[in-house]
Amino acid sequence: MGLPLFSAQDDPGPDFFRFAKSAGLSAPQSSESIDLPHATTVIAVRYQGGVVMVGDRQATGHYIASRDIRKIEAADRFTAIAISGSAARGIEFIKLAQLSFEHYEKMTDTSLSLEGKANYLSPIIQNNNLTTPLTVMPLLAGWDASHKVGRIFEFDGAGGCYERADFATIGSGTPFAESALRLGFRSDLDLEAALELGALALYEAGDNDPSTGGPDFVRGLFPMMVIINEGGFQEVPTEAVAARFKTINDRRTNSGGIAGGTLR
Amino acid sequence: MSNYFYVNPEQLTKDRAEFAQKGIARGRSIVAAIYETGVVMVAENPSASLNKISEIYDRLAFAGVGKYNEFDRLKEAGIRWADGTGYTYSREDVDARALANYFAQYLGQVFSEGQKPLEVEILVAQLGNNIRPTKLYRVGYEGTITDEPMFAVLGGDAETIKGRFAASESELKPLSQTLKDCIAAISGPERTIPVSDIEACILEDRGTRRTFIRLNDNQVSELLG
Repeated sequence: MGLPLFSAQDDPGPDFFRFAKSAGLSAPQSSESIDLPHATTVIAVRYQGGVVMVGDRQATGHYIASRDIRKIEAADRFTAIAISGSAARGIEFIKLAQLSFEHYEKMTDTSLSLEGKANYLSPIIQNNNLTTPLTVMPLLAGWDASHKVGRIFEFDGAGGCYERADFATIGSGTPFAESALRLGFRSDLDLEAALELGALALYEAGDNDPSTGGPDFVRGLFPMMVIINEGGFQEVPTEAVAARFKTINDRRTNSGGIAGGTLR
Repeated sequence: MSNYFYVNPEQLTKDRAEFAQKGIARGRSIVAAIYETGVVMVAENPSASLNKISEIYDRLAFAGVGKYNEFDRLKEAGIRWADGTGYTYSREDVDARALANYFAQYLGQVFSEGQKPLEVEILVAQLGNNIRPTKLYRVGYEGTITDEPMFAVLGGDAETIKGRFAASESELKPLSQTLKDCIAAISGPERTIPVSDIEACILEDRGTRRTFIRLNDNQVSELLG
């Protein structure tokens, strides 16, 4: 690639996606239907000091394609992006989002607002989902530094962007995770309660949805748990996640495999 | 029908060089130096928002003197090139030498073929790691590219500043000392520059992917002691 110089009227500005398109860097769109690994459960729960996210690690095609993919990534220091749908497109989407936010920051010496990031992704999702069968359904959550609050944005298949005040889930395990969240969510959750609720909801999804991977005690692979608050994006260490799922699992074993009439 | 006049290429080059030098000399200088654990770039810049030093990529920085609109456009092209290259291949394939060469080719082309040469001098700095060395590439208005071993001076009074700095620098020092030497070299013996007019940035490893840090006034004051 040569030096990308533009005249003032054709300049793509700080928008990396627009630049990538004009420079022919973005992947060509295909309308062919291919069977690709997909299916997921990712949960985002708001708590008093930010947002907690929990995501499973399994990519599923006709068989389990991967047991340890990461579906939640830091898009920048205060923003997390999670993906469901086509794994190939989803991972590409995360890469593009990370790059776009950083590109904007370097070009303008300021960061995009959290709402700005959510709106920026809308047309990219729309363009992808309406032109290919390889849909991606992302989830954006972050710490809004200008309003000192954690926020969650979900998207529909056509790229519509909706802010959620409570919680959001994406992926095939949604019905099961959402049920648990609806029963357990309160507006005054603290961090520990939010982590516990998120883990329970994911456990339910892993239990009922064949394409969602629950805790894998055999291989020591556990869902990802992430906290985004004033301190930025932090991943909960694997040992802590393992301990949490072990407790839930033991409880479930003791109650004969059912939740037992309470959310525990 | 238009008339074509013969212009001696030697005279043309001389005129263009003089024009560019005059434009560059109007601005203030920038000093960049390698210190023990990184690269520091220092500019005298009364504006806190119109920056002369910028982040290009994880381990790359850009500095420009001369006409702001001209070097800022090159900076933007540099960021686009770096982000585009890293996106196409891998983040570790983004290399300062390749970018400096593109800048040099472009500046050289504009110098000989353009309406007027660009009145800028730029620097591409790279923080080394196990696969690449720490480098300072200086690119002149006519496209000359130089690989500066320890420090680089951009701008009008480059030779004087170079002399002052060379006297103080023979081996790699800690950041605080190198920063002091850079500021002393820019200001000269008769003048002190207020901290608020100093734009200082560093490239230094701190365990994260990005290494560029813009030092704020407090950090600069603290380092100056």
